[in-house]
Order: sequence, then structure tokens, then C-alpha cells
Amino acid sequence: MAVELKTIEHLCELSKLNYDEDGLKKVMGEMGDIIGLMDEIKGFDLTYDDTKDGNEIRFGDTREDVPAESFPTEKLLANAENTDGCYVVPKVVE
Amino acid sequence: MSAYFPTMGLEIHAELLTKSKVFCTCSAEFGGTPNSRCCPVCSGLPGTLPVLNQRAVEYIIKAGYVMNCDISRFTKWDRKNYFYPDLPKAYQISQMPRPVCLSGTVNIKVNDEDKVIRINRIHLEEDAGKLVHDDVNRISLADYNRCGIPLIEIVTEPDFHSADEVIAFVEKIKLLLQYAGICDCKMEQGSIRCDVNISIAPKGSDELGTRTELKNLNSLKAIAKAIEVEIDRQEELLENGERVIQQTRRFNEALGETTAMRSKEDAHDYRYFPDPDIPPIIFTEEELEAIRNSIPELPEQRVARYVDEYGLKPADADIIVGDKRICDFFDAAISEYNNPKAVANFILGELMNRINRGEADMDALKFGGAEFAQLVEFMQTDKISQANGKTILREMIENGGNPKDIADKGDLWIKEDNDLLAKVVDEIIANNPKPVEQYKNGDQKVFGFFMGQANKALKGAASPKAIQEYIRKKLEE
Amino acid sequence: MDLTKAKIRDLRKALDNKEISAPELCAEYLKRIDEQDGKLLSYITVTKEKALSDAENAQKIIDAGKSSALTGIPLAVKDNICVDGVRTTCASKMLENFIPPYNATVIEKLNAEGYVLLGRASMDEFAMGGSTQTSAFAKTRNPYDFERVPGGSSGGSAAAVAASLAPAALGSDTGGSIRQPSSFCGVTGIKPTYGRVSRYGLVAFASSLDQIGPICNDARDCAIMLNAICGADAHDATSARVETPNFTEKLGQPINGLRIALPKEFFSDAVDSSVKACVLDAAKELEKRGAVLVECSMPGLKYAIPAYYLIACAEAASNLSRFDGIKYGFRGEGRTYEELIRDSRSRGFGEEVKRRILLGNYALSSGYYDAYYKKALALKQEIIRQYNQIFESADVILTPTAPTPAYKIGEQDNDPVKMYTADICTVTVNIAKLPGISTTCGYTADKGLPIGMSIIGKRFDEQTILQIADAWESGFVPLAPEL
Repeated sequence: MAVELKTIEHLCELSKLNYDEDGLKKVMGEMGDIIGLMDEIKGFDLTYDDTKDGNEIRFGDTREDVPAESFPTEKLLANAENTDGCYVVPKVVE
Repeated sequence: MSAYFPTMGLEIHAELLTKSKVFCTCSAEFGGTPNSRCCPVCSGLPGTLPVLNQRAVEYIIKAGYVMNCDISRFTKWDRKNYFYPDLPKAYQISQMPRPVCLSGTVNIKVNDEDKVIRINRIHLEEDAGKLVHDDVNRISLADYNRCGIPLIEIVTEPDFHSADEVIAFVEKIKLLLQYAGICDCKMEQGSIRCDVNISIAPKGSDELGTRTELKNLNSLKAIAKAIEVEIDRQEELLENGERVIQQTRRFNEALGETTAMRSKEDAHDYRYFPDPDIPPIIFTEEELEAIRNSIPELPEQRVARYVDEYGLKPADADIIVGDKRICDFFDAAISEYNNPKAVANFILGELMNRINRGEADMDALKFGGAEFAQLVEFMQTDKISQANGKTILREMIENGGNPKDIADKGDLWIKEDNDLLAKVVDEIIANNPKPVEQYKNGDQKVFGFFMGQANKALKGAASPKAIQEYIRKKLEE
Repeated sequence: MDLTKAKIRDLRKALDNKEISAPELCAEYLKRIDEQDGKLLSYITVTKEKALSDAENAQKIIDAGKSSALTGIPLAVKDNICVDGVRTTCASKMLENFIPPYNATVIEKLNAEGYVLLGRASMDEFAMGGSTQTSAFAKTRNPYDFERVPGGSSGGSAAAVAASLAPAALGSDTGGSIRQPSSFCGVTGIKPTYGRVSRYGLVAFASSLDQIGPICNDARDCAIMLNAICGADAHDATSARVETPNFTEKLGQPINGLRIALPKEFFSDAVDSSVKACVLDAAKELEKRGAVLVECSMPGLKYAIPAYYLIACAEAASNLSRFDGIKYGFRGEGRTYEELIRDSRSRGFGEEVKRRILLGNYALSSGYYDAYYKKALALKQEIIRQYNQIFESADVILTPTAPTPAYKIGEQDNDPVKMYTADICTVTVNIAKLPGISTTCGYTADKGLPIGMSIIGKRFDEQTILQIADAWESGFVPLAPEL
């Protein structure tokens, strides 16, 4: 199955991924094959009932509202570029 | 008269007063030095998992009940995926197809007319962090302290047609949430925030126009102003034959205008899907009933009780209940001195006066309802004069303390000094033959003149009752 | 001490009897790693200093007579399980320098036992793959044939155990990532029931499918490891509030009368005849020992690959969004936030990870959600239903672990479809949240490559599959690889 360029571009936007021209061509082909494989699922017709997953828990089993000590700031920031106890982010353009 | 009429719907975000965050055990308090109320979970470290806070769920159920919603017996959480530096996981845990609360109603009163606003849904989600922009270095600094504070989002139907209705509704919601004890509703701190969806259509039209969403409205004043200028803007567009573009706009309070925000992603596609880390929750009828029964008295019930049981005037009760801080103060005061009318009168007449003048602040009052009640009691039982009562209140506002100590120190007690009373009044009568004559000729009005003179000269040395009796006795001799 | 195929319980005895000290044992493993891992590439990081200091501490516990099952036992830990202060890379350039500031719950539990961390085992990048060839740092080889893959994604863990560079290891399994490399490397690995082991601290691939489990030399060691790592966890709401049994309890009990189902779809032409024959022979052997073989069918298997990849990649796309170069991990370049995160992600992630992120976002995006993601969830319910039906007349299910033995490195490169379909035997077990164990049932006649079979149990019935795997192993002589 062929995937349109604009579909791949949209997926790259959602995924925040860049490809150069060759890379994009390559991944388009691969995604076409992969989506072809995924399309097999269309042969199956049952509907999903989200209340029937059987993984729910009771309200009473949720966590009690008891605060605990937070983490040392410097330990949290140790893997990040930081200043004044904050993460450094390049300017957000809106 | 405009040829258009506006239609609006609201999305109100309110932070819940839980002790810990909604998905981790960090403190949910406001503020703190940057990233000091954070842990691996709310900072979005790889491998961490959210664990739902029971009280946050309890609180949204309370919110649902006070807004007459249906509470879902099965509720679940979804991920709303988007990239933004205040959102460390790059998804917000929220609720899409199965929110906790659905279809409710809230009554409001606008210009003495009752109106019902329909609630579409209320769901529970997590708040995002804060960015501080450093324009000089072209960077932003991210602080995640607010990440994971529990939020409820109240979504209304498009039932509003004027800014007055919107303001009345927001005020009502604030009161309901405050009285239910689930949000402090401090707009200036952002603990309650309001987005307005707004469109206009020609009068008589059945169809709604294209809507815009107004964000960044952090006061009631801003909401009213933003609605006004946005309606004007949309009308001007339509008048000029242009069309309204569906977009999110930010209100700039300083400039008094709304400006388009460049959308975070041009194609907004949040890819909601059920969060596999958080199991759905089911409730038993008993659990829901227990939560419903734990809701404190709500504003409307409280007004009714003040009127019925305490004999307050409905307008007075409305004012007291209309500010939960004052209402709590009133309750504390009458539990000390059970004279609701006198307490209410002194609150409305004197304390509110000081507050309105900016001399006192309910959030930083230096005395409690008990001290206030003592003062009212002293005045009611003729131990302190009205004038000295006001003096003592001013002292309490400025420096705190209790009325007894202040009265002792300032020698402000009524002393029932009968000798002094006789001396002073005798003197006044002797020095004012004309008014005495008038009184004797049946002019009752001059009695006030004698009272005034005596009060002034006695400076609280005798109770008003004693002064009154003595003057009358002397004049009628 | 000869460490070849040394079992945890043998080492326990040696340590407790003071035949060897914990530091000596640790040093011997470190020496083996030093000598052998240059060729095998099973470790990304060898934590030599920490290992020796862990061992010193363990020896104190042993000397005090307070040892538990894993005190002083050296282990390899897959490089996607967070260890406080120890670099945890997920075999990705994205996390090349990431040092977690906290321990995964399983690590806390192992610490409580006084284990020794030998190092971080290689894996496919972010556990995405079945060959360990997508690892950015150590493309592990199969100890039976260095030209072949060890399987994956827990290929480093399986290869290290097979080559006796660790007596046991932790892996993780999202669609077969413990069982398939165990099969390729001739060792025993168990994926516990979803919810049995806390996922807290496991860098998520697909949260509804991921589960941590052990890879060991045999089922009995797996049981010992499970005893240490299982249990409900307040940090993981999906960890099950069920009692943790003693997993060694049923070992050695006769398997008489146990019903073993063989779903015919797992023995189709998609599976190599050598593998099929080997697994069916093992089934017959188990029958001889008293088990009852039951024929059955799982028609849903036909849709299992798309269902699995749609669910797994949808969750992965979301789970991996947090890697933006800001808070941790590879920080690319860019003058704006948008440029920086795009550059960080484009250069930090490998090609397979990117493909899966794209697929996941495809499945979730507006206009495709119902046709793909929601359909996959419907299939999940159907597969669970079909498993339940089989378990009405069977105690366990027996299948091949993989359609083939270990294949040559490079054979599946650039062919994602081939790579994905190779997961057919394992993915439904994750979808249905069941426990599954893979153990060696034989070796290929020509090359002597291990062949694995999987025993799948009812939810929370790890004990029965351990019992059967142990029964099989008691009559099977494994061949150690020649390094």
C-alpha cells in the first residue's frame, strides 16, 4: 500500500521528527508496507466496548491523599540544562 | 442597537484543594521555589507512573453534585497528546469519552431574573507547569511545581448571551466550589480560570456563527471587558463583509484588545486514547451516597437558614453568604455570641465599610470571629458605647488584639458614673434654656440635641440608656 | 569455581557454605565478562565498582547469617530498568548519558535482598525489535553462533545468561522480548502475568503490555527470581493486588493429568518445520509423563500482529513523546523550542523507533483512530475471550516461542514487515495479559541452534507453567555454547 507524502508529513509533524529528502522517501516506502500489514485488521469486524476490559479498580482502592516529601530539585535537574532551579527551554514561538 | 446577538459557552478550570497532587504525592500547595514541589513522577522522568489521588475524585464528584450532574458509575482517563515545554510528559492526563460528571444545571440570577445554565460535563485532569520567559536571552525557564495539581474542567452548553450572564455564572460557580470546600477560587493566583467561547449571529438567526475562544482571562473585570471587545471585533468583521476565523485569542488587558494566538500546532490533533497506566474507576452507590452526604451546606441553603432561623433580611444574608470568608467569619462570631442580627449589622455596617475602603482585608484579618463577637456583645450589653465600639474595631483591624484589653487600655468602658452623669446633664440643661423650653412645649426633636451633648461630654462614662433616662427625668421635672 | 551454567541456588549454597565469598564470585563473573563480552557484546555498561561494593555489602549480610535467596548473587539488568545513579540508556543515543535519580521498584526489591549488579544488558533500542541489532551501543551476538542474532529485545540479558556472563538477568517483555531471546539463546525466561511485577522504573514501551521478568538457566531459578520481584506496588496502579505465592512451591510435583492445549494456528506453515517438530516431540514427551494433550483453535491469531503493533506503537508514540531534549537525554540544536525538540528526536532516536512512533501516531490520528486503534482494542477483547475459552478445557497452552531458530545478523534488516510477523507466537500472550515461559526443547540438527517452546498459563497461574517447564527440564540436558 502506498502512503501519500502529505500523510507522512503530517505524521512527522505529530511525531516531531525530521527526515531529509532521501530519508523521507525511504520511510514512505517502509510505512506503506507496514500500514499494508496493519490493514489486515480491517478484515475483522467486532466493535470495542470500553466498559468490558475488566481492568477497572474500585474507587476505594485509589491512593489516599497523603502528601510526601518532594525530591531534591538538583537531583531532578541533574540530567537537564538548567538555571535558577529551572529547565532551560529555547524560546517558544507562538 | 446591534443587529447581532452573541452566544457564549464557558470552560472553567478549577484547581482542587487536595493535599497531594493528582498523580503523585508531592504537595499540591500553590507556589514554592521552582521545581521544589516535584518528584520523578510529576517531572515526567522515564519509567515513572501516575497513581490517582482518591480525594481528587471525591472532590470532582462533589462538584458534580453541586451542579446537579449525573455521576458516571464507570469513569476513565485519557492522554491528550501535545508538545509544549510546560507539559513534561508531552501528554496531559485528562478525560475524554467517560468524564466523571455529565449533564448538570446551575441556576443564576441576572438583573433579578432567574436563568438556568446547562453543564455539558465536568472532568478531572492535571495542571501543567509554568514558563517564565527571558526575552533577553531568548529562553524560557520551566518550573513544574504546578504540574499535577488536580484540575476540574467545567464545560457549559452555549447558554450565555451577555457578559452579565457570564459574570453571574462565574461568581456562582466560585461560591459553589468554595462552599463545597473543593477550590479556593483565587482568580488572581489562577486557581480558577475561565475560557470563553464566543460567536455572534444576526438576530433571529437559528444558526450559531463561527466561534473564537478567549483565553488568559484572570479577573471578572477582564472577562467582561474581553467579551465586550470581542463581540465588537466580530461585529465589525461581519459588518465589513469579512468572516470570523475559528481560532484561539488571547485578551491583552493593558491594551484592551484580543489578539490571535498562533496555534501550538496548526493541525490540532490531540490523539486522545485511554491512559494504560491508570485503571478505570467504578463506584458503588454507597460510596457516592457517602460523598454526597459529606457536602457542606451550600450558599442557597445558607441564605435560607440565615433568613428563617436568624431573622436576617434576605438582602443582608445574600451579602454575607456572597463572600465565603465573611460568611465563615459570621458563623464563627455567632458561635461565640448568639445574636445573629447584631453581629450581622456590625459586619455589614462597620467591618464591610472598612474592607470596602481598603483598610481591612478578609484574607489578612488580625482577629477572629470570636473577638469580633465579644465586641458586639459589649456594645449590645451597654458595656461599650457605639462610638467606642467603632474605635476598638479600628484598633483591632490595625493591630489585632481583643476588645477587652483595648477597652482597658484606652479606658473605653461605660462606667455608669451617676454622679458625673447628673453633674454633666444638669449643667447642659442649665446652659440651654431655649431647647428646654421647646421640649416642654412638645418639641420632642430637641431630645436628640441633649443626647448628643451628653454623649459628647460623658465620653462613655454612662450607658446611652442611663443618659436617656436621666435627661428625660430632668426635662419632665 | 566453574560458573558454566551455574544456577542461582548452586551459588547460594556456595556462598552460604563459604566456599566462595560474594566479592570473589563477583570478581569471577567480572573476569568472564572482561574475557568474553568483547565478542558477545551482551553488556552496554559493566558496573564494576558498584558490583564490587554491592558484593562487599552482601558478604556482610551473609556473614551475619541473614542472607536471603539473592544475597550476593550477581545479576545483569536490562538497560531499560532505572537504577539510581547508574546510567540507563535503553540502548538509545537519546539516553546515552541519562542517569536516573531513582530506583525502579524491582531494583528496590533486589536491593532488599542484597543482590549484586554486574551491569546493564543490551537490548533493542527502547525494547523495539527482536534481534538486539537496533541497539545503539552493543549489537549483541548469539553465543551459539556469533553470526546470528541473540533475539530481542532482551537479547543482552539472554546472551549473558547463556554465556554464563551472569547467572540470571532481568529482562522486559512487551510482545515476546523475554521469551524469544530466551528461545534463541537456549535459556529459560518467563513473562509474568501483567500486573504481577511493578512496572515502576521500567522505561515504558507499551504500558498495557510491558512486564518485567527474569531470564535464567532454568525454570527453578526463574521461580526464585520471581519470589524476589513480584508484588503489588503503590507506585504502579496497574500492579495487581493479588497474593504473591511461593513460586517454587509446585516445582517437582507430578504433571499427571495436567491438560496441555495445542492451538493449531500456532503450528501453521508460518513456523519452521524443524521448530514445529521439536515442540510437538516435547509435547509427546510430556504426554508420556502423564499430561493430557488437548487440540484447540485460536482463530484470532490471524489478526494478532496488526492488533499488537497498533496498540503497542500507539502507546509507544505517546510514551516516547517525553523525550524532547529538554529534561534529560540527547539535546539537539535549535534556536526555538520547536527546532530543538525536532532535532533532538530526529537525531536521538534510531530508525526503528521512529517508524514505530510514526505508526503509533498514524493509528491514533483523527480519521484513522476507529479503523485502526479502536479495532485493535476490539481484537484484544476477542483474543482474551478466545484464550478464556481454551482455558475452559486446558490448564496450559503449548506453542513454539518463535517461528524459527536464531537467524543471521542482517537477515531482517530493512524489512520491518518480516521483522513484525516473526513475533506471531508471542504477542497474544501480552495482549491477553497471561504469563508465558520459554524453555529449550531441543537444538537444530544441522547447526545445533536452540529451539524454544512456550508454556502459557492462566492469569496469575505462573506456578503451573513453572511446574511444567521444570518437569520438562528435569529430563533435558541443555548444551552450553562454546565461546
